[in-house]
Amino acid sequence: MVERVEHRSPLRATPQQLKELRTLNVAVVHPDDADGRLLTQQLQRIGCKVQAFWPPVQSIPKDVDVAFVAVRPDILNLNMDWAHCEDAPTVIAVVNYENPTIVEVVLGLGAKAVLPSPVRSFGLLSTLVLARESHKENRSLQRRLRKVEAKLLGVRHIAEAKVVLMKTHNVSETEAYDMIREQAMSKRTTTEEVAKAIFEAHELLSMGHRS
Amino acid sequence: MADKDPIRIGILFSETGVTSTIGLSQLHGAMLAVDEINDAGGINGRELQPVQHDPASNPARYAELAERLIHQDGVNVIFGCYMSSSRKAVIPIIEKWNKLLFYPTLYEGFEYSANVIYTGAAPNQNSVQLAEFITSNFGARVYLIGSDYIYPYESNRIMGELVLQRQGSEKLAERYVPLDAKERDFAEIMADIRNKRPDFIFSTVVGDSTAALYRAYADAGFDPKSMPIASLTTSEAEISQMDRGLATGHYTSAPYFQSIDSEANRRCLTNLRRRFGDCSVPNLCWEASYFQMHIFANAMRQAGEDDITQLMPFILGSEFDAPQGRVKIDPTNHHTCLYPRIGRVNADGQFTIVRQARRSVYPDPYLVTHSLGDWAARLDTLEC
Repeated sequence: MVERVEHRSPLRATPQQLKELRTLNVAVVHPDDADGRLLTQQLQRIGCKVQAFWPPVQSIPKDVDVAFVAVRPDILNLNMDWAHCEDAPTVIAVVNYENPTIVEVVLGLGAKAVLPSPVRSFGLLSTLVLARESHKENRSLQRRLRKVEAKLLGVRHIAEAKVVLMKTHNVSETEAYDMIREQAMSKRTTTEEVAKAIFEAHELLSMGHRS
Repeated sequence: MADKDPIRIGILFSETGVTSTIGLSQLHGAMLAVDEINDAGGINGRELQPVQHDPASNPARYAELAERLIHQDGVNVIFGCYMSSSRKAVIPIIEKWNKLLFYPTLYEGFEYSANVIYTGAAPNQNSVQLAEFITSNFGARVYLIGSDYIYPYESNRIMGELVLQRQGSEKLAERYVPLDAKERDFAEIMADIRNKRPDFIFSTVVGDSTAALYRAYADAGFDPKSMPIASLTTSEAEISQMDRGLATGHYTSAPYFQSIDSEANRRCLTNLRRRFGDCSVPNLCWEASYFQMHIFANAMRQAGEDDITQLMPFILGSEFDAPQGRVKIDPTNHHTCLYPRIGRVNADGQFTIVRQARRSVYPDPYLVTHSLGDWAARLDTLEC
């Protein structure tokens, strides 16, 4: 017998993305045709809660986690702004053309996956799970990026405020920072906020006196 | 009706190769039903004419022979397949030519094809009940052994998750052996089991290597009273390949056992003996293969055609008094409502049924997370 490497970890656990399938609210923005019905029925077999919308809607209910959208020539000029808001659902495009015009709309929707028409039941589950995963990851990266940007701005404000205090109060850098911190504590706010206020006040007071 | 031509149907069960024991029994189940149907006047006077080929437990052969059945033999409906790999090989062909496949085998779920009717158990019809029974009677420290292919991987995932819902549970190991494993392939595993002392062993070993597993267990001197093997795939057929008494005391979860005490089952077994003598070993896959042929025949009587488009509406939602009880094809997912049961192997190599469902259980092939204590999985106690 050939020595085999154990290829399955002894603590194999089912990924969260699969466990959550039965709690997903799915919108199917698709005409009531063979594809639309197959899509809806297969989603129901998988165990998702499905709502169908057609003709296309201007907004989508807040609790929708995933939206399948038929991207076809007749929806090109519709307003799909809902797909771009902060907590937009994961968008999966259902396409029957792949010419540049259609692909552009798919990109514009921020779709995380594409289902080619005619839709088959096989492959839908994997597409759904992957699109969901990639959308979640994207969103959490974006949130982190925003936090990091805010943090960076705060650090800049503190540096600037320290310079102001060192100049105006003739103190060391450590003392300047302590002053900012004490203010923050007594006003129950962050050092970044205090620093920003100090710097802005200084800018305002020294109007016209800048070197 | 003017049309008295026979109706040709395709039969694809392995009569040779590693899964031939089950394959032969499925073939016997199908042929028995065909005989019963023809003896009763066929389908509106038309004879059912089976065309059978032996794919020899080889997925590529299954695909070739499915093409041949469709193109050379001119059949519209095929009955067959055992391992998932054989089903996956046949489905693209069935779908391409829009034909119909009846699949009489338990499998791991997560599939729906508009061209397939699934008459074996989905995991919510056997695994949940087995986990419930075994963990409450023996404990929840499990050792998983399976043949090296997709059905065991997925069954073990489900069993692992179910078991971990119990207090004091532990998944001690998840081991895979080749499909043609011999007793020596289990030697090291048995040594590991001796060290880890699980409460029970969950086996998804299939085919001829099943006998090797039970032999290795017995040779290691283990006792099924304190550490049984619990299985979904060890049926009367696999037990018939073992030395007498080898599987005694171990458990299997299945919708059908030969020992079911019902009129329909007794009648069916008598017919089988008359037709095939004692060479046929009825088991869960045999029964599914038997009743699905009748489901097809009933639908065909109403449709008058064996084309999938005409036939399907009469198959979906249809019911039949099978040996296990009254089964029904679920119209939404094409799987079958079945009666989960737990059997303990007795000294005669038959199953003493210790638990059984009062009502049939709806198939849920896309269920990712199964739960213990689900009311639908609760079984009646027959024997302790």
